Amino acid sequence: MVLAWRTGGIANAVLAVTCALSIAAWAGGAGFGDDDDNSEEEGPSYFGFVRDTSGVTVPDAKVTVGLKGRGGIITRTDLLGTYKVPGFGKDVDPKDVEVACDKPGYKQMRVVRRSTPSKDPKIPIETECTLQRI
Amino acid sequence: MRKWKAPRIACASLIIVAAASGRVSAESPFGDPNAEPAPFNPQMAALMSMLIQPRHAKLGLAGEAENWPLAAYSLKELRQGFAVASRAVPRWRGLPVPELFDAAVTQPLTLLDFAIKLKYSRQFNEAYEQLTAGCNACHATTDHSFIVIKAPNASAFPNQEFAPKR
Repeated sequence: MVLAWRTGGIANAVLAVTCALSIAAWAGGAGFGDDDDNSEEEGPSYFGFVRDTSGVTVPDAKVTVGLKGRGGIITRTDLLGTYKVPGFGKDVDPKDVEVACDKPGYKQMRVVRRSTPSKDPKIPIETECTLQRI
Repeated sequence: MRKWKAPRIACASLIIVAAASGRVSAESPFGDPNAEPAPFNPQMAALMSMLIQPRHAKLGLAGEAENWPLAAYSLKELRQGFAVASRAVPRWRGLPVPELFDAAVTQPLTLLDFAIKLKYSRQFNEAYEQLTAGCNACHATTDHSFIVIKAPNASAFPNQEFAPKR
C-alpha cells in the first residue's frame, strides 16, 4: 500500500511537471529571462530633438527631463541632436514630466510636446526643445 | 487517489493538444501554401538592406571612379530610397523616421549633389564621409550602433562597371 502510494505520488509529480512544462512550451517558451523585462512596470520613455530657431538640430545640448518638484535626469543630445531618457515609474503621470534644454551661447525658446502617451510603453513621448542663439 | 484522476485527465488532454498543435506548425513553419498572397510589407531592416545600403555603396564606387553621371544617378536613387523607407515606416519604435533621416543625411546629400555637379572629387569624398557618419549616427540613435557603415573598399557588383565610359 505504501509502495503503491509512493508510486502514485511519483507518477503524479512527473505528470504535474510534464504538464507545467507542456503548458509553458505551448504558451511560447519557458520564460527564462523574463524577470529582466520590467517594461510592464515602467512608464513611457522620453525622446526628442533639440533644434535652433532655423530648424537645424543641435548636438551636445544639455537636456533635463524632470518631474515637477522631484528632480530629474540630465542627458545630452547625440550627433543627430536627439535625446532619449528611459521611462520613469508607471505611477508617474507623463503630464508631470517637463523637458528643458540648454547650451552655451543659446537660450531656451520653446518646448513643444509632439506626441501623447501611447498604451504601448515602448513608444516614447516626443518633446521638441528649441534654442535661440544669444 | 481518486481526487487526482480529473486533473490527470485534464493535463493529459492539454499535452495531447499541445503536441498536436506543435506537429501542425512543424509541417509548414513558413505558413500555409494555400493562403492568399499577403501584401509585401518590408520593414526597416529589409528596406535598409534593399534600398539604402547597396545604393550607398554604388554611390561611393561611382564617386571613387569619378564617374559623375553614375554618381548623380546613384545619389538620386539613394535619396529616393530614403523617401520610400520613410513613407513605408514613418515611425520606427515610436521614433520619427523622416526627421531622423533628415537630421542624419540631408546636409551631406546636398553637399554630394554640389560635388557631383562640380565634378569635384575632394568635396565628394568629404561629403561621402559625412553621409557615412550620418548613417552611423542614426544607427547609434536607434540603438543599432553595432551596424557600422563604411566607404566600400571593393565592389559587391561584379556585373557592373563603375569606371566612366570612354
